[in-house]
Amino acid sequence: MSDQQQNRARLHREYDRVWGNWPGWGALAAVNHTSVGLRFIVTGLVFFLIGGVLSMLMRTQLALPEQDIIGPELYNQLFTMHGTLMMFLFAIPVLEGVAMYLIPKMIGARDLPFPRVGAMGYYCYLFGGLIILSSMALSIAPDSGWFMYTPLSSSTYSPGPGSDFWLLGITFVEISSVSGAIELLVAIMRTRSNGMSLTRMPIFCWYIMVMALMIIVGFPPLILASILLELERAAGFVFFEVAGGGDPLLWQHLFWLFGHPEVYISFLPAAGIVSTLLPVFAQRPIVGYRWLVLAVITMGFISFGLWVHHMFTVGIPQLAQAFFSLASMLVAIPTAIQIFAWLATLWTGRVVWSLPMLWILGFLIIFVAGGLTGVMLALVPFNWQVHDTHFVVAHMHYVLVGGMLFPLIAGLYYWLPHVSGRMPSELLGRWAFWLVFVGFNMTFLLMHVTGLLGMPRRIYTYQAGLGWDWLNLLSSIGGFVMAMGVGMLIVDLLLHFRFGRLAPRNPWNADTLEWAVDMPVTTYNFISLPDIGSRHPLWDDRQLPERLESGQGGLVEIQADRRVTWGSDAVTGQVREVVHVPSNSWLPLQTGVLLAVVCLGLLTKFYWVALGASLLALLVILRWSWHNGGHPLAAPLRDDDPQDPPLHSRTCDGPGRWGMLSTLLANGSLFACLLFGWFYFWTVSPQWQVPAQAPLSATPLLLAGLLLSAAALLYHRLTVRLCRGQAQGLAGGLWLCTALGLGHSLVILWLMLDAQLTPRSLAHDAVLAVMLGYLLFHGVLATLLTLLQALRVRLGYVGVRLPYEPMVLRPLWSYTLGVFWIALAGFFLMPMAW
Amino acid sequence: MASFAVVTLLVVVSLWLYAVKRRPGELDAARARRIQNRWIIGGGLILPISSMALLLVFGIPIGYRMLPLPVAGQQVLQIEVTGHQWWWQVRYPEADIELRNELHIPAGQPVDLQLTSNDVIHAFWVPRLGGKLDMLPGRTNVLRLQADQPGTYHGQCAEFCGTGHAHMKFTVHAHAPDDFAAWLEGADRDE
Amino acid sequence: MRWRPHHPVHLILGLCVWSIWFVVLYGGLSVACQLTPPEPQQGPFNWLNVLLWLSTLVVVGLLLWAARVLWRAAPRAEQPLGRHIGVTSAGLYLVSAFSTLAVAMPVLFLPPCI
Repeated sequence: MSDQQQNRARLHREYDRVWGNWPGWGALAAVNHTSVGLRFIVTGLVFFLIGGVLSMLMRTQLALPEQDIIGPELYNQLFTMHGTLMMFLFAIPVLEGVAMYLIPKMIGARDLPFPRVGAMGYYCYLFGGLIILSSMALSIAPDSGWFMYTPLSSSTYSPGPGSDFWLLGITFVEISSVSGAIELLVAIMRTRSNGMSLTRMPIFCWYIMVMALMIIVGFPPLILASILLELERAAGFVFFEVAGGGDPLLWQHLFWLFGHPEVYISFLPAAGIVSTLLPVFAQRPIVGYRWLVLAVITMGFISFGLWVHHMFTVGIPQLAQAFFSLASMLVAIPTAIQIFAWLATLWTGRVVWSLPMLWILGFLIIFVAGGLTGVMLALVPFNWQVHDTHFVVAHMHYVLVGGMLFPLIAGLYYWLPHVSGRMPSELLGRWAFWLVFVGFNMTFLLMHVTGLLGMPRRIYTYQAGLGWDWLNLLSSIGGFVMAMGVGMLIVDLLLHFRFGRLAPRNPWNADTLEWAVDMPVTTYNFISLPDIGSRHPLWDDRQLPERLESGQGGLVEIQADRRVTWGSDAVTGQVREVVHVPSNSWLPLQTGVLLAVVCLGLLTKFYWVALGASLLALLVILRWSWHNGGHPLAAPLRDDDPQDPPLHSRTCDGPGRWGMLSTLLANGSLFACLLFGWFYFWTVSPQWQVPAQAPLSATPLLLAGLLLSAAALLYHRLTVRLCRGQAQGLAGGLWLCTALGLGHSLVILWLMLDAQLTPRSLAHDAVLAVMLGYLLFHGVLATLLTLLQALRVRLGYVGVRLPYEPMVLRPLWSYTLGVFWIALAGFFLMPMAW
Repeated sequence: MASFAVVTLLVVVSLWLYAVKRRPGELDAARARRIQNRWIIGGGLILPISSMALLLVFGIPIGYRMLPLPVAGQQVLQIEVTGHQWWWQVRYPEADIELRNELHIPAGQPVDLQLTSNDVIHAFWVPRLGGKLDMLPGRTNVLRLQADQPGTYHGQCAEFCGTGHAHMKFTVHAHAPDDFAAWLEGADRDE
Repeated sequence: MRWRPHHPVHLILGLCVWSIWFVVLYGGLSVACQLTPPEPQQGPFNWLNVLLWLSTLVVVGLLLWAARVLWRAAPRAEQPLGRHIGVTSAGLYLVSAFSTLAVAMPVLFLPPCI
């Protein structure tokens, strides 16, 4: 063995020791992005198969008219669960899993910046999914549709626990999606390898960045709506009931404010896969990189302006409908730009034909067809005719299956060698493709016709002789053909792990960095980190993988057994700091389990259990935050700390601050929706009632505001001084902040008790109660975390050389201050002026 | 509209297939750039914008006609339809007639249906007579409907409303105006 | 941190303006229709539509101006990165202006509150 090989083997051993998962059950404590990403993907595929089985049951029932195999009760559960599984438990988590797996590798990082958050997200997803599925096994599954329209889903018309399973389980899963999005966003912005400027990022990163931002802004509306509906169901608060001044339409607004962007959230990463694969198979750089960036950003925004197009039949003024109709058509433009940029890439390249390309072609045909019917649906008069018919079912499956599933499978085939080190089988793969493609079109192409003939959605049976019989029969047969194709795909995937031909390194001759890692994949990706000089590092330098593996890149030496990767400037990608990330930890699993207990406690109405578990979860999370920065279990101060660049916990602007800002963006979206709900009620709720006397009194409100302002300003000043290297009075200042924050929280609490709200009979009071609870939560949270900071200063985990954590916390204080005064204006001043 | 969509689909797909099969010679950067701009601007901007403009030119007037605008010199017949789980309550406020799961209207004249719901959200839809409109508790939506020919039309609930949703149907009987007046009289007397 | 012409915040600023304008347009319409709806006989020519259209023109003007400023500033950036971001941002301002105009078109044709 030569010296070089010996050196390489030594490095691998070292890295395995520091970065490896624990053996046996210890693997559950794994936090590295490769393991977590793969877990997301595999779990998501299992949910996909279950959702597929449900759809087969539905197609069996609908194959012939007037069948009685499945009654309406079960059928309603089936279509509700099918939609729920596919949208919430399959599409988003799998795509996030793919992104979590790929992004660090593509940007030349060793891990995501918050690995424990990723792991916790996975457990939230898994447990939430299992809770939802368990309702199916107990045959008390939700049955009001995946859109859960009120009042059908409220306790009067759905008295069973089905809706509760949905609301709690989905909220649980969404926490996972949002945390994953925050992690991906910060990873892309702050942990790119040296020199990877914004414009040198692989195009996939732009797609994921926009997707992550969309999740961060788009999921909170549904989280809020779910919380409100669950409060209505469990505690009798009035939000969506007309009698107390609520409005069922608010649910639809909040749901579609989430629901429409969600379609694009699942399309964008899939389109990102297409944009990554096509240039590789055309063996030329993607055409129109800048156009694509422009299209993706545009799409991310405009897709938020479409939500009302799901509500064209609720009786909104036609002019307002026309706005949304036009916005819906506008989305066709960025889509068309992408389609034609891809076309131009193929046009100017020499295409190597292979299995992933077949799936991409399938994607193109199906997705363009779905997009065209989408433009038709954006036209209001046409929409009135086919809304809620099988035409829409067909359109939606064309868009989602074509726009998400086909590229996903293309991607799976493309990146399979990366995971297994083996190539997929062309023969079985082709069979699977053709079965899925033919089966799909047979099912859904015909469904357009069925819909135009007037067959509504969500009916469990239909009369013979309306002209729908043979169409439905053929649709059902097509469905089974497609199911066979999916089965064959699964068989192919499983067999290839055993029999696949061994893959060479970079088997497709790709240009992106993820192919520079070892195959099969390791948990640390790179022994040394590359310098990036262009958008196609592997086409520029075919020896790059070799060089990185033999330690000729950056950040080779392991110090103090820390897991480290670069932290870089968000725009230029120049290295700014060394980010140290945590290793294996049980905390995510513990948090996940405790949150699941909270969820189950709420479901079974054992509220004390739920409360106890929440407090325990809070303790675990605080412990988690304790093991950070300068704590001995993280990165305690040492004499040989790297200086240039420094460790991120020694700086004032590390990834944590960016994570906090992203979290607050999600939080702000939730707050904005609450505010929207309030104004919505005031203006359009049909029986809005205002109590005769304003429930909040001015003096305590002002007092609370002044205390909070003092705390936030003091905190701001302390951190500014700390970053200038002045730490005198830091501990005392933090204690004072804590005291002020405590005072503020107590005043809010007093206000809540004093106001004598009647949220069970008035929507006005219900919204007010939620808002006060929101303010109280933030006051308490900021106070508690500041208290911990004060303690950490005393223990020496925070100080002049460790200013990181107070800086992470600073935006929370500013945010709390901001929402307080906005709430004051909206909830106290606005009603006075009305 | 449908044929336009089919043509677009076929053209785009055949272009892609051709692009895959095509073996271009060496391209210099300037030429590649020209090709790129041609496709992206032509296909990505001009194509969708012009088709949208076309769609709107046809779409807006159709939508305009469906508005419940006041009709000059004519009193539009008002009928109240209330959705229940799972049946339809039909009331003629002027004639004080109440019906269940059936609706009688004069053919050749517009009628305004005042739609609301007593429990969950339903949607009123007669596929052969036009668009659907939701029936919401606490609100009243107005749907303008016109049957050009006398006859019997089938309607059903189009918004999922629970276990009885599939069977929540009704019939519309459109009478010639004279027959309708006679029916109104007759139904009135029956009460 | 100053928002220089090649700062990446311009990549999203234009569409943020579009979003806010969209919310104001829809919200303003709903509130106005609730409080003092104009007579439907007036068709599209009434105080509300005129107001909506004026606000649209102001926003479009603003966005076009921003696009122009960025387009002119882009070649002056020191690095290709700055140029790239500047040009893309200018494009996105243009997109926002177009979207604003397109979405507001129906104001010219439809009466507001029915």
